[in-house]
Amino acid sequence: MDWAQLADVATRLAGGLPTTLLLVGQSLLIGFVLAVLVALMRVSPNPLLSAPAYGFVYVFRSTPLLVQLFLIYYGSGQFRPFFQDVGLWFLFRDAWFCAILALTLNTGAYTSEIIRGGIQSVPHGQLEAGRAVGMSPAQLFRRITFPVAIRQALPAYGNEVILMVKASSLASTITILEITGIAKTIIAQTFRPVEVFIVAGALYLAINFVATQAILYAERRLSPASAADRAKAAERRQKAMLAR
Amino acid sequence: MTQAAPTETAALLAENVHKRFGNFEVLKGISLTARAEDVISIIGASGSGKSTFLRCINFLETPDSGRIVVGGEEIRVRAGRRGLPVVSDQAALGRIRARLGMVFQGFNLWSHMTVLQNVMEGPVTVLREPKGEVRDRAMDLLAKVGIAEKHDAYPVELSGGQQQRVAIARALCMQPQVLLFDEPTSALDPELVGEVLKVMRDLAAEGRTMVVVTHEMGFAREVSSRVMFLADGRVEEESSPAELFGNPRSERCRRFLASVL
Ligand SMILES: Nc1ncnc2c1ncn2[C@@H]1O[C@H](COP(=O)(O)OP(=O)(O)O)[C@@H](O)[C@H]1O
Ligand SMILES: [Mg+2]
Repeated sequence: MDWAQLADVATRLAGGLPTTLLLVGQSLLIGFVLAVLVALMRVSPNPLLSAPAYGFVYVFRSTPLLVQLFLIYYGSGQFRPFFQDVGLWFLFRDAWFCAILALTLNTGAYTSEIIRGGIQSVPHGQLEAGRAVGMSPAQLFRRITFPVAIRQALPAYGNEVILMVKASSLASTITILEITGIAKTIIAQTFRPVEVFIVAGALYLAINFVATQAILYAERRLSPASAADRAKAAERRQKAMLAR
Repeated sequence: MTQAAPTETAALLAENVHKRFGNFEVLKGISLTARAEDVISIIGASGSGKSTFLRCINFLETPDSGRIVVGGEEIRVRAGRRGLPVVSDQAALGRIRARLGMVFQGFNLWSHMTVLQNVMEGPVTVLREPKGEVRDRAMDLLAKVGIAEKHDAYPVELSGGQQQRVAIARALCMQPQVLLFDEPTSALDPELVGEVLKVMRDLAAEGRTMVVVTHEMGFAREVSSRVMFLADGRVEEESSPAELFGNPRSERCRRFLASVL
């Protein structure tokens, strides 16, 4: 292994880090908003709302992200006249837009299921208590359902974030020069795939390490159960000190 | 103050309330009038419709017919889709619920909020009162139910008795005209029942208007101004506690009391 070259590869790959983070960050952000809307539609008793939500989730969860990505990027080219007519071609000819769209729709579908699980886990009694003080349906969602559901959904959502970081590497297949895209470029120039992929892998590992820690921190901050643990730990410490 | 007919001056009026679930008629016309400072206990066998009646009063269940009037304001119900009853005026519903404090058998504290946040939530979010004022009132109420030192704790950190006392403080913080209790001590370990009953006795002594579904016959007998015995969705007997416990007129009531006392 050539250490000088490895350092050079690392520097160049690290240049793709902002692109990867932007790709993941943007998709997660928009995808989350989409997911909340889809989850709300999904739990609605009205089939006009729940059926399309179900269909959306079903399609995007059951097909490979790579296929979705190709269909959006290359497939839109087939319908170029149509997109030109509706004035949206400038978006669909842009690889970045297509990558964000595919990743957003994908994480939107998965995350909506995670949020739906959270919503359905909210104890009925807590909702009744909200109604009993006179909360409107919107207040009930904002103050009770959503915060309780999110706490419930956080561990599963952490998983989704990690999957998204890895999935973003597929954007390289439609010319996006994020970490994996740059890795491919370097390999084409140097024919040293092993070194390059080791460094690329290490970068993804580092991103996901930070992401995992962030989610864990959020879980600890938000979870009342762990607040109880904290209180008990403090009590034990105090007792131990008194015993001494 | 709004002008109203004499019966409407009652703090709470429920008239001829009917409720069915599918083909099963749970409430077959129940009426109740609570004047200011009344404490009305509702007793009866399990399944007789006590909870359903209480829940109809604040529309956690929508009655099929009958009237509910709180502080002179009436909520109207109309037939909705599939013949199910719906409340037309959601704003009025919110107002009425805010005037009725509800304490549940299972406490139902909001798990993601601290004790203090639980107590402040209704007044701040629903009544849009200034936070500072509500905080002071909430702390006073927590002190009153003997749990002020736990104001930063989460519900999971509390015993059942403590949770129920917080739930009572939460109901009181809305400054309701009437307090509704649905078997507030039934989910508690026996040694924790006393602390909750003590708080409820204090509230009654203060002159709070209360409707209490309970299996605590001692409480019903000593604290209530009136006792209602429900059987099969009807008011089988209603009178003063001395009368109802000392000399029940109906055979069912006599048998029920014999079984619980
Ligand atoms: N949501 C519901 N759907 C169907 N049946 C119900 C519902 N709620 C209560 N019931 C039935 O109504 C009857 C009265 O219940 P409830 O009011 O809870 O009685 P109580 O509080 O006196 O024990 C019971 O037979 C119960 O099974
Ligand atoms: Mg009951």
